Amino acid sequence: MSGFYVICEARGEEFRPATYELLAVARAITATTGGEVTAVVAGPEVTLKAKLDGLAHRVLALTAPELTPFSADPWVEALGVAIAAVTPRAVLFGEGGRTREVMPRLAARLGAWALTNCVDLRVSGEGTGASDEGAALEISRPVYGGKAYVTNTVPADGLLLAAFRPHSFDAGMVPAGLTTAVEEVAAPVAASRVELVERREGGTRKADLTEAAVVVTGGRGMKGPENFGLLEDLAAALEGAVGYSRALVDAGLAEHAYQVGKSGKTVSPTLYIACGVSGAIHHTMGMDTAKVVVAINTDPKAPIFEYADYGVVGDVLQVLPALTEQVRAATS
Amino acid sequence: MRVVVLVKEVPDLEAAVKVTGDGSGLEVEKRRGLNFFDEIAVEAALKLKETEGATTAAVGAGAGVGVEAMRRAVAMGIESPLLVDDAGLEGADSLTIARALAAAVALEPADLVIAGKQATDDEAGLVGPMVAEILGLPCATRAIGLEVDGGSVLVTREIDGGEEVLRLPLPALVTAEKGLAEPRVPGMAGTMKAMKVQIPRTDLATLGVEAHPVLPVASYRTVGKRPPVKMIEGEPAEAAAELVRLLRQEAKVL
Repeated sequence: MSGFYVICEARGEEFRPATYELLAVARAITATTGGEVTAVVAGPEVTLKAKLDGLAHRVLALTAPELTPFSADPWVEALGVAIAAVTPRAVLFGEGGRTREVMPRLAARLGAWALTNCVDLRVSGEGTGASDEGAALEISRPVYGGKAYVTNTVPADGLLLAAFRPHSFDAGMVPAGLTTAVEEVAAPVAASRVELVERREGGTRKADLTEAAVVVTGGRGMKGPENFGLLEDLAAALEGAVGYSRALVDAGLAEHAYQVGKSGKTVSPTLYIACGVSGAIHHTMGMDTAKVVVAINTDPKAPIFEYADYGVVGDVLQVLPALTEQVRAATS
Repeated sequence: MRVVVLVKEVPDLEAAVKVTGDGSGLEVEKRRGLNFFDEIAVEAALKLKETEGATTAAVGAGAGVGVEAMRRAVAMGIESPLLVDDAGLEGADSLTIARALAAAVALEPADLVIAGKQATDDEAGLVGPMVAEILGLPCATRAIGLEVDGGSVLVTREIDGGEEVLRLPLPALVTAEKGLAEPRVPGMAGTMKAMKVQIPRTDLATLGVEAHPVLPVASYRTVGKRPPVKMIEGEPAEAAAELVRLLRQEAKVL
């Protein structure tokens, strides 16, 4: 058991930020423990493998016609064979729909541990000089809607599959510059049992909520769709995405695809701005791992302020235009 | 057709959670109920009972817990509950839970297995697809639409920037996203029935389930990492200017 596999995932022609973040943490850990970092690309991502040059010791490219477009059956089969052939210490995934479909099935197939929602990975006893290839890993994630964090110890002789929330690591934490060997392998896989009947792309493709480094979320304080442009403006100024609270979605004013919270999306951006959101547990479960949280609300006792770093008591409809103006002035 | 729902009993969302003094354990207030997404799965199964004449069953797994969730499923209209109740499931690994549920499902042939997309306590979303893999079933996650079409099932689901429709041959496993069905509130008759029903139980040894080792816990900690909120005073323009200054100079996120 040695080294790390990072399952690289792209959106269109570019890898997700999580791919670079996970490659970075794997490089950082192997720099002290030894072992190799293998960047795994499969199906549609194989054509992007040149972008991984220098970021891993090895690129493993799995090719088969059945792997494009993505379908869970052949992916589980191809990744299962590739992982079992080497048995790395850990296989790292970025959180997302594809990961949630593939990773649990791989864990069942390989008899591995699987953890989702992870936000940290380090060598046990880091900073005490106790690092070597036999050292245990420590991995952390929120539970009970972020009311507590649990850190698990992963023994050196066990296989771990782990999915990390976006922005868990700094992609620049360690330099790249590795010499990357590329290995292309034809994956012997059967066709998927699941048939893709139809894929309907949404009209205007909005920025992906779960990936965005900045998320601006509107709640009941936004009143109605006539004011949603204020959220869009601020998000645009910050190059972020817009989300909505359950109150607005349940009232039929916003789409479920953009809902942040327990029954919607979980986001973990660098900056989260809650606009007129009360901060019920349903909501905070979806954003509690954001790095910096700003809350704007008329009610100084709103629970959202307990989850915020910065608070502004005021009417979002007045604060938002002022904030957008200030952000534009500061970042232009 | 026979539809089996995987159900989990979870602490209420509002339940208090405390880390014990030395960080070695968690104390969770005992207010429990049926997982939010599993309620949707139960409703989806009941719809098939109405439209396809399906028989419905629910299976759950826990160590001395799960009866509340099972009663809720029965009150809503599930006909056959089964609980894997075993001390060996206390703090068990997801794969052990999945093996237990898979073995319980396999006791009688099922055409469709429906699970919630995740539980609200750990939000892991692991057990549903694991059960599919163990039983060798095709699997579709996060369904917002479900339609039986002869020997297959059509599943609609949200993807990034759109929707897709998948066709899975039966038997299959599907996980339920919000929007798949609006869970009914049990009526008086259902509630009375659920209060009286004897929930059949089985255990790991009877099912022949081998436990997967538990990942050791190093520590628990409370969130507490976020310092107290810094409130910014002033009129909107003033407050906005100060906020941007702090985000740039103090938080360094702009």
